[in-house]
Amino acid sequence: MNIVVPIKQVPETSNVKMNPETGTMIRAGVETVVNPLDLYAIETALQLKEQHGGTVTAITMGPSQAEKVLKEAIAMGCDEGILVSDRKFGGSDTWATSYTLAKAIEKFGTFDLIIAGERATDGDTAQVGPGIAAWLNIPLATYVARVESVDDRSLTVERLVEEGYQIIEMEKPALITVVKAIASPRLPTLRGKKRAKTATIPLYNAENMDVDPASLGLRGSPTKVVKIATPKVTRGGTVVSATDEQSVASAVEQLMAFLESRELV
Amino acid sequence: MAVATARAHGYAAVTEAIVGRLRKIVGERGVFVDEEKLDTYSHDETNAEEYGHMPEVVVLPTTAEQVSAVVKLANETNVPITPRGAGSGLSGGSIPIFGGILLSVEKMNKVIEFDMDNMVIVVEAGMVTNDLATMVQEKGLFFAGYPMSLQTCYIGGNIAENAGGGKAVKYGVTGRYIHGLEVVTPTGEIVWLGGKLAKDVSGYDLKRLLIGSEGTLGIVTKAIVKLIGYPTATSDLLVLFKTPREAIDVVPTIMTRGIVPTSIEFMDQLSVRTSCAYLNESLPYEQAGAMLLIEVDGTSAEQVEQNLIAIGELCEEHGAIEVYVAEDHNTIERIWNVRRNIAEAFKVHSPIQSLEDIVVPMAIIPEVIPHLERLSTTYGMKIPCYGHAGDGNLHATLVKDPEMDMDTWHTNEDLCLRELYRVTRELGGKISGEHGIGIKRKSYLNDVIDPVEMKLMQGIKRAWDPHNIMNPGKIFDLAEMK
Repeated sequence: MNIVVPIKQVPETSNVKMNPETGTMIRAGVETVVNPLDLYAIETALQLKEQHGGTVTAITMGPSQAEKVLKEAIAMGCDEGILVSDRKFGGSDTWATSYTLAKAIEKFGTFDLIIAGERATDGDTAQVGPGIAAWLNIPLATYVARVESVDDRSLTVERLVEEGYQIIEMEKPALITVVKAIASPRLPTLRGKKRAKTATIPLYNAENMDVDPASLGLRGSPTKVVKIATPKVTRGGTVVSATDEQSVASAVEQLMAFLESRELV
Repeated sequence: MAVATARAHGYAAVTEAIVGRLRKIVGERGVFVDEEKLDTYSHDETNAEEYGHMPEVVVLPTTAEQVSAVVKLANETNVPITPRGAGSGLSGGSIPIFGGILLSVEKMNKVIEFDMDNMVIVVEAGMVTNDLATMVQEKGLFFAGYPMSLQTCYIGGNIAENAGGGKAVKYGVTGRYIHGLEVVTPTGEIVWLGGKLAKDVSGYDLKRLLIGSEGTLGIVTKAIVKLIGYPTATSDLLVLFKTPREAIDVVPTIMTRGIVPTSIEFMDQLSVRTSCAYLNESLPYEQAGAMLLIEVDGTSAEQVEQNLIAIGELCEEHGAIEVYVAEDHNTIERIWNVRRNIAEAFKVHSPIQSLEDIVVPMAIIPEVIPHLERLSTTYGMKIPCYGHAGDGNLHATLVKDPEMDMDTWHTNEDLCLRELYRVTRELGGKISGEHGIGIKRKSYLNDVIDPVEMKLMQGIKRAWDPHNIMNPGKIFDLAEMK
């Protein structure tokens, strides 16, 4: 079974700083990592490979430095990494990104399954995975928490939905996006790292891909960012104090009244 | 109760009049006597029920002059005084065992001077070490005396205990980075020891004597902290071995290859399993009898990577089952979390425990492990073993079986510790590498220390603190105490 895992490089979130004037993130000097939620997709793919054989290919779109996350994926056990990179892809929104990645996957060749992370920790849209499925016109299951079974023609997955779980049987090839519950990502090994160091990463760009130039990058992106602002955190709490035994009863009354007004009790 | 113990040892009680004078010195808001507030200052990270003791009054001075005045008052009125940092100590050093005055430096947390030309920062003793580290990091500088309780502890406490921690293999412990100290002596004088100097042999090195003196020789009020360039590249290896012996045996091999790792942390399977269960982490520990967590840092990413691979290959040659690599912040944090949460994880299993930090010559560690296994069986307790393998500093922790009754535990803990310390001494080690003696190990120190050394230490204490009011009853008791 051949699996493709689209991954994204994101800023390491513990030390993200915002530019207070523009409201945008300061990317200079910020370490980038594999989107933490993509690690679960990689792990799921590697486990399926261990059970059913085949290959796992990680693919990412981004600047040339994004090669780093592909090497990280190889160090974890992926067979190959593909870098989709071109200045023309710059400024892509989720529409243009999923289009470009879908085209890259087409160029890559046949596959049985695409496994994506639930969403990226920077953009937080959860749109690129489903977008790729739409462009490729293949079945999609989001929020997958368990892959129940896989056979030659189909796979059965358990989706996390608000009311509980949904069990879906889907034909292959398909795309699933996975949640954290599905697996615990393995650590990269020294063996994998050494393999990643020497691995050649094929470069897919606007020239060697069959793409419509009008659908690429900023030009191909219908999303227009009008303004980015950091919301003000306001916590205007009310302090209900009970300093002695007498005031406890009235404090409890106040708290109960509040909870009732919010229909919480 | 507090008053009773203090009096039994010849100290006077804290009277209304003394409290009044303390208020005059530090102001109304810097003194409190209500039990609820005092309680916070009655214990550190050791078991409060066993070692805790209430102070009679807590004072929060803001200047060295105020500290001096409080200490002079303590001398004049014969009231014991206990200095305190953040209270994250592991030997009871900041517990006011005779009641009296508890002096917390928490309000003394200012930066006095950031001297980039001399690569030092001058700070007050109550500065949170983490704040200090973050502040200097923004300027590309590094405070390398990194203790494990970084988030909460104060620099003053680190100095008093000469704290160790996870990076000591390469960078040494706190004391190495303290170039000068402003100290209030036990008789209340203010003195600067050392300075912004890399070298200083102008007389006895009193500054070094202060460092690690556990608050018995004075109260640190300011410190000149040496900074170095921030290591911009850091990577870690998590190496799995079949047995603790194999894991430990590789340590000297690494150390003699010319690469100095920042940390070499050891964790036995029991430690890893307990911490993983606590964190809901899924490291593949089933096959591994022990793990090493090895960190390499530097200013060149290429060099760090090269060293990382070299160490990893060395481990593979010496029987490692698997070598995992962590090169980004998230993965590094993920594996360090397992190491940092071991103590906490065992508290969930059984809150009653004795966290030890014996230190032996590095190459001797494998000889300690079978003794721990033997003691564990003999005394019916779990003894997980983890710690700073690169320093020979092991946190063998005695964990009470929840089923064991308290009387048996106390008896067995005492017997087990005595034997552990005896073995440690016989192997050329010492009973504490970084936590200190405090009150927790006081009764054992005599058994394992050269009487001449003890006599010298007591002589120093008498010379510095003629009224024995500065953190009395810590490290050792003086014969003249009742």
